[in-house]
Amino acid sequence: MSSTDVNASRSSVLPRPRLSANARRQRRWGILFLLPWLIGFFAFQLLPILFTIFLSFTNYSGGREFKPGNFDMVGLANFQRLATDPDVLPSMGVTLKFALIGIPLGLIVPLGIALLVNSKRLIGSNVFRTLFYLPSVIPVVAGSIIFGGVLNAQSGWLNLSLQAIGITNPPRWFTDPTWAGFALNLLAIWAVGNGMIILLASLQGVPTELYEAATVDGAGPIKKFFYITIPMISPVIFYNVTIGLIGAFQFFVPALLIGGINGDPQKSLLFFPMHFYRTAFPLSQMGYGSVLALVIFVVTMAATAVLFFFAQRLVYYASGELNS
Amino acid sequence: MKKMFYILSLLIVASMVLAACGGAATPAATQAPAETQAPAVTEAPAATEAPAATEAPTAVPTPTIPPPVLTEGEGCDPAATKVTWFIGLGAGSNADVVPLEKAWVDKYNQSQKEACVIMNVVYNTGSNSYDALRALIAGGNAPDIVGPVGKAGRASFQGGWADVTPLAEKAGFNLSSYDPALLEFTKDEGVLVGIPFALFPSFIFYNKKLFDEAQLPYPPHKVGELYDGKPWDLANFQNLAMKLTVDKNGNDATMAEFDPANVTQFGFFEQWTDARGVGAFFEGGLPYDAATNKAVIPTAWVDAWKWYYDGIWKNHFMPNADYQNSDQFNKGNLFASGNVAMSWVHTWYTCCFDNSKIAWDIAVVPTINGKITAKLHGDTFAIMKDSKNQDVAFKVLSDMVVSPELAVIYGGLPAVVADRPAFFEAKSKAAAPNVIDWTVAESMLAYPDLPNHESWLPNLAVANNLFGAFRTAMDQTPDMNMDEAIAKLQSDLDAAYQAAK
Repeated sequence: MSSTDVNASRSSVLPRPRLSANARRQRRWGILFLLPWLIGFFAFQLLPILFTIFLSFTNYSGGREFKPGNFDMVGLANFQRLATDPDVLPSMGVTLKFALIGIPLGLIVPLGIALLVNSKRLIGSNVFRTLFYLPSVIPVVAGSIIFGGVLNAQSGWLNLSLQAIGITNPPRWFTDPTWAGFALNLLAIWAVGNGMIILLASLQGVPTELYEAATVDGAGPIKKFFYITIPMISPVIFYNVTIGLIGAFQFFVPALLIGGINGDPQKSLLFFPMHFYRTAFPLSQMGYGSVLALVIFVVTMAATAVLFFFAQRLVYYASGELNS
Repeated sequence: MKKMFYILSLLIVASMVLAACGGAATPAATQAPAETQAPAVTEAPAATEAPAATEAPTAVPTPTIPPPVLTEGEGCDPAATKVTWFIGLGAGSNADVVPLEKAWVDKYNQSQKEACVIMNVVYNTGSNSYDALRALIAGGNAPDIVGPVGKAGRASFQGGWADVTPLAEKAGFNLSSYDPALLEFTKDEGVLVGIPFALFPSFIFYNKKLFDEAQLPYPPHKVGELYDGKPWDLANFQNLAMKLTVDKNGNDATMAEFDPANVTQFGFFEQWTDARGVGAFFEGGLPYDAATNKAVIPTAWVDAWKWYYDGIWKNHFMPNADYQNSDQFNKGNLFASGNVAMSWVHTWYTCCFDNSKIAWDIAVVPTINGKITAKLHGDTFAIMKDSKNQDVAFKVLSDMVVSPELAVIYGGLPAVVADRPAFFEAKSKAAAPNVIDWTVAESMLAYPDLPNHESWLPNLAVANNLFGAFRTAMDQTPDMNMDEAIAKLQSDLDAAYQAAK
């Protein structure tokens, strides 16, 4: 590079505008307010992620002090094991099946409830909103234990009710592999309160003049719902689907509580995160467990990216944020 | 649209905050935030034997999990060496036991100036206490003493225990005063990892009320005694169990009208053990051939498993998983429900039901194929290899294993025979007005399962998991092909053993 080029290059770089004292102060405060999150993120998210990547190249067992001498670097051996692990594909299948049923249900049910409690014809709508939201405040552990009782094939009230109406052989919800996954989908629906609240807020944000104009044009309730409501709340639907997708790929606690670490019955509840947990902790194979954790990370990220790709076409932003 | 933008911004900020705070798996799009760790519902509650790897994959009562306890060495001499004592791999983490342990520690800390015992108790739900110990070890904070812990609990930290023989020699502790067989039982892979402390023989707990209702005589209390004029063998034992199994119409399982879909009372259950324990009902065994490094499932175990499976699904005198987890049968703690007539469990089970409310006693295990097998658990305290204070830790350990108070707390027969009368007296007091024939417990010590059902195996964590899963499958699957399932178990065990090489 000649000296002329260097000078030209230098002259093309504009001097950074000097921040005013007020702006500098605001920036300092901004950083200060962000610090708790940043510290939390580095300490509890980024470092563990980096550590997981490191562990995936070791044979660390988890039962010894983490120090040189207690583990070896094994290169890509843990990644190669993915190809021969008989539980990888079935457990991913369990997770995908759950997601395919759970995400639409986790959207349609709260949307239906939100529409219901948003209706002007509903008397005591605040009471219903509270009641529908109530299950969401119950911790998932408690909820799972309650559902374990409710869906018990012998003494659960669901089967007792089914028997009372003449169904002699009701499903063995948590001991029959055919039904166990679906039973967990039911469990997940139970706590739709959060989704309902978010969708309710977005429904109330739809400008009423759009409905008025549609009424004048002769549109009925169904057309209004599909041509006004759905497009207008599509960003929130997209948000719910995204969070639902991530949640489905991380689904773990209720399955562990109900199916144990092996995802019983017959591995029908062996979700991929459960396979990871079982490998890394009870079976003390931290190295390979880290690989499984990375697989969850990559698959979830890829699925979310696909979702964002389709969102560009399917989500309506009146101000065109995502498309711009 | 501005409003929409604000809503979205708020949602994104909220999700980021949740993420940064370590929020975990949400079951569905709209589900409340979930916890990342949880007790396994399908494992036994904390009894006195390590449940995680080998124990009890069938069911659990509703957990009321006490918080971890970490003492600060109150009342210690300032110059005393701190010795940390981790409790959670076996007995000792139940909320009602912790204050008794703490009282023992306080008294001990004040009684001498060499050691200051710090208790670290993590409630044993089957996995979380194991994870907690792993985290301590991984972080370089391994405790000095762990216990009470049995073979299964120790096996989960295989290679992590100190050999106490040189420590005993250094301290002048006389190991020769112990029964050599008990010393052998306390060895892992030939290394003495503790001093014999508490023994937990197994026997038949029986519910006297259910026997009285059925107008049946109580089972034998002495080996060789007849039952109702007949030998106390498998056939008669099964017949008795079937007579004690009753449906909602009052029919018992020996009757043609019996309705297995509506059972209100079961005759027998093998509570809180895995497939190795189920196998040991017939005979002790080792499912491993060291010469070939292959799985060899003892023939007696195959028979025991088939008998157990038929007991659930064909003869109906044992409960399947749905019954086990139902309210009627106390969600996994079956004998405590008062609706199971006989249960085969260890001494430690006195921890887990109201000893004074249920009318109960204990009976000897029946003779099967000409022999009696009463599987045995033995707990001790072990010193971790990573302990930085092994000598002082051994001093504490040697005081613990001879403490009669601790033996009573953990419900184990003291290894020292002279301490047993006091132990039985304390247990009898807790069981009053029941009068328990404790001679049964002592007599069953003569019939341990050899090799022990918790013996070491290569890749033990994986192997134990396979045995746990196999029992769960037997409990849950009505149309299981047992021969195929056993062949699959054998091949999975082979793979596990090979992987350990």
